[in-house]
Amino acid sequence: MELFTSFHISGSALTAEKLRVDTVASNLANMQTTRTAAGGPYRRKTVVFAERLARVRQAPPSFLGRGVRVAAVVEDPNPPRLEYDPEHPDADEEGFVAYPNIDLAKEMTDLITASRSYEANTTVINTAKSLYLKALEIGRG
Amino acid sequence: MRINPYVVPLSPTEKEEKKASGPATFGDLFQEALQKVNRQQLEAEEALQGLISGEVEDLHQVMIAGEKARLSLQLTVQLTNKVIEAYREITRMQI
Repeated sequence: MELFTSFHISGSALTAEKLRVDTVASNLANMQTTRTAAGGPYRRKTVVFAERLARVRQAPPSFLGRGVRVAAVVEDPNPPRLEYDPEHPDADEEGFVAYPNIDLAKEMTDLITASRSYEANTTVINTAKSLYLKALEIGRG
Repeated sequence: MRINPYVVPLSPTEKEEKKASGPATFGDLFQEALQKVNRQQLEAEEALQGLISGEVEDLHQVMIAGEKARLSLQLTVQLTNKVIEAYREITRMQI
């Protein structure tokens, strides 16, 4: 229903931001992970967002935006952080352990950005809702 | 809460007849709108059931579905009120 376009747009943004919070959670949980299915230490993951466009129905499209979608979850290509710990079972011959290259401050900043964006989009939904309710009050008095 | 799908969809022959006879009446339009509202109520209920049974991961989608259902129901109530008000206005008319 075209009536709820702003709901759909902000809803897609909420889904995208939730995924970003999930990746931050995964990055923070795996700060010390040295074993992964692909081998080697865990790699920091980030999400890439893309604009979602509507299919063009009429010749002069009035409004094309239909929210946001997650285009990809990419892995950080930077080399892992090496730490000297010969007693660790995953240490190499020289005694160095490869830990994920995750910066705690960076992750926390990402988390704050994601949660603020989530809040902003819920505000949009609430504003749209109160606007609709105001419209329903037309002619009541 | 169980919402009965009480709005019976028009059969295709009936629709075609109506189309042939002229433009859609207010009743038809209202019937269609009611069906949409009912569908949204059912969608909201489905989303809620999905959340309870653990199928839906996004909490906000459930809330949005609920809000959509609530808003469209309120719109319907307002429209019905308007129609009834107009009807009363006519019945009160002095002859």
